[in-house]
Parts: sequence; structure tokens; C-alpha cells
Amino acid sequence: MSFDDFRLIYVLACLGLGLIILSPTLAMVIKLPGGEQFSEFWVLGPGHMAEDYPFNIAEDQAYKVYLGIANHMGGLQYYRVYVKFRNQTEPLPDSVNGTPSALDPVFEYCMFLRDGEVWEKEVSFSFDGIFFEGNSCRVSSLVLDDCILSVDKFALYDEEDSGFYCQLFFELWIYNASVSGFQFHNRFVWLWLNMTRPN
Amino acid sequence: MLRKIALCFVLFVLFSWFVHACFAVGQADANQMLAEAENALVSAYVSVAEANSVGANVSQLLVKLEDAGALLAEAQNSYRVGDYERAYLLALNCSNTVDNVVQEALTLKSETEEAQGQRLLFNAGVSSACLSVLFVLSLFGWRFLKKAYLKRVLEMKPEVGSEPK
Repeated sequence: MSFDDFRLIYVLACLGLGLIILSPTLAMVIKLPGGEQFSEFWVLGPGHMAEDYPFNIAEDQAYKVYLGIANHMGGLQYYRVYVKFRNQTEPLPDSVNGTPSALDPVFEYCMFLRDGEVWEKEVSFSFDGIFFEGNSCRVSSLVLDDCILSVDKFALYDEEDSGFYCQLFFELWIYNASVSGFQFHNRFVWLWLNMTRPN
Repeated sequence: MLRKIALCFVLFVLFSWFVHACFAVGQADANQMLAEAENALVSAYVSVAEANSVGANVSQLLVKLEDAGALLAEAQNSYRVGDYERAYLLALNCSNTVDNVVQEALTLKSETEEAQGQRLLFNAGVSSACLSVLFVLSLFGWRFLKKAYLKRVLEMKPEVGSEPK
């Protein structure tokens, strides 16, 4: 090994040691970029699995699902879940353009989650007043978490799928401090419900 | 006597009838209280989020935010079903829950920033002292190693043997 090589190795070793000494201070000053920022939003069946979702709905019968949110946005977030109810002709949220459904919410949940935190809630619901007349079905009220909500929806008989279909869906909204308001977070989950006649 | 009792009864019925109307909460009142509660909750959230972002322990404040959020959601749900009185009371309760949260979050934030500043100063001081020691030691070390290196090189130099007579 030549003298120059020896000197170079010595200088590099000293610099490395210097960086190790400086690292606690540098870690406090330099902020490394975080990972991808996103939120998870899910609905699970009564067994806490992605199966056995309520489908065939009878009047005055209680159903249960689990609704969950996980925050990976890198900080404390203010979320709101809007519960909406529609028939097949009414609009769903548009995930391509990121716009929510134009329908008014019938219910809402509100929560604050720190980065990495998970919120999960058991949502119980039933329907009160399902009337059938010819090829149409009228749903007058939805009971969600013991709160009676007037929905008053008509569902026409779907020849293709043989049933009177309605949809209970949940939209995730997030507070955006830069616009000082809530924005649709482009996440929504839904349950297809087939309203059945009493036997 | 009977007339007096009848009059009292009529007055009581009228009072019961109108007292509700006098103190009833209308849709506009409930709407205004909901807007106030929403603003109070958003301000509290923004302050707590800022405190959280600088690393403050916001667990207790978060409990208040969650309680207030649940109250506001319930108030909104009551408003939707037309129960304005309940909506008003819940919204008022929500505002009261986050009453001092902004101030507490600001205090927590400034305390955390101050503590972090002191820790940074301490770390920078210790690092500077260690770097100075490293610099001095490296100079001495270099002199020592250089001497050792040269000695080793000189030992490797072939010796000139004396010519036989």
C-alpha cells in the first residue's frame, strides 16, 4: 500500500467516525421523506371476515357488519363517514373523478386517528316498513345503531338479478386544512341488499 | 272557590302549553349551534394536529377530540331526523368539550418545541466537543501512524552489504 492510499484510508476513517458522532444531532435536524400516504377503509361481515355479508333483507330483522378505517397519512387525521342509501337508479360515488354521491347522507360517524391507528365499529342495522306493490318495493325507514332514519326509497324489480335491490354505502371523507373543509377521500364501501317479501 | 281553582287550572294549562314554545329550539338555532360546534372542533383539531406533528403527547387532548366528535356526529344525526332540541344540546356539549383544547394544544406544542430545542442544543454541544476531541486525536494518531508506516518502509529497504576483502 502506498503512502497516499494509507493517508486516504485514515482520512475516510476519521470522517466516518465524525459522522457517527454527529448522527444524533443530524437525526433531529434532517427530516426524511415518509412513505406513501393513504387511508384504508373496509367493511367486514358479521364474523369479522370478508364473507357472509347481509344480502337477503327481511323487515325488522337486525343485521351486523364491521366498518373500519386505518390511517397511514403520516399524521393526525379528522375523518368522517357518511352513510347513504340508494336504489339502483340513484348515483354512486365516482371513483375515477373522485366525486362523492350526490345523495344526502342519512347518518354519519366522526373520528380522529393518529398515524398508524385503526378505528373499527360494529354497525347494526335493520329496516322498518318494507312494502311491496306489484313490481316495486318501498323502504320507508332504516334503523341504524338504534336511530330511526327515514329513507323512503323505491326499488323496482330487477328482472336480470331477480330481486328488489338497494344499496347501503359508506363514504369516507377527510378534513383538509388547506381548504378548511371536508373532502371526499375517494374511498367507499357498500352492501347490496335484496329486499325480500315476508313469507 | 271553584272559580279560582278553575282559573288556576286554566293558567297552568296555558303555561304548560306555551312554556315549550317559549324555550323551544328551532331549526335555525340548532343549525347555528352546529356550525359553531363544527368550527370549535375544527380549530381544536388543527391545534392538536400541529402539536402532534412536533411530537407532543396529545393522548389526553385526543380523548377530548374523540368525545366531541362523537357528540357532533350525534348532533348532526339528530338534526337530520328533525330533533333540533337534542341537536342543539349535543352541539353545545361538543363546543364545551373542546373549550380549552386549543390553548392546551398550543401550550403543549410550545413546551415540546422548547424541550426539543434544548435537546438539540445539548446534542450539538456534545457532538461539537466529541468532534474536537476526534480532530485532536486524529492529528496525534496520524503522526504516530505516519511514523510507524515510515519505520516499516525503512525496515523493508534492502541493506547494502560490505564488500569482502
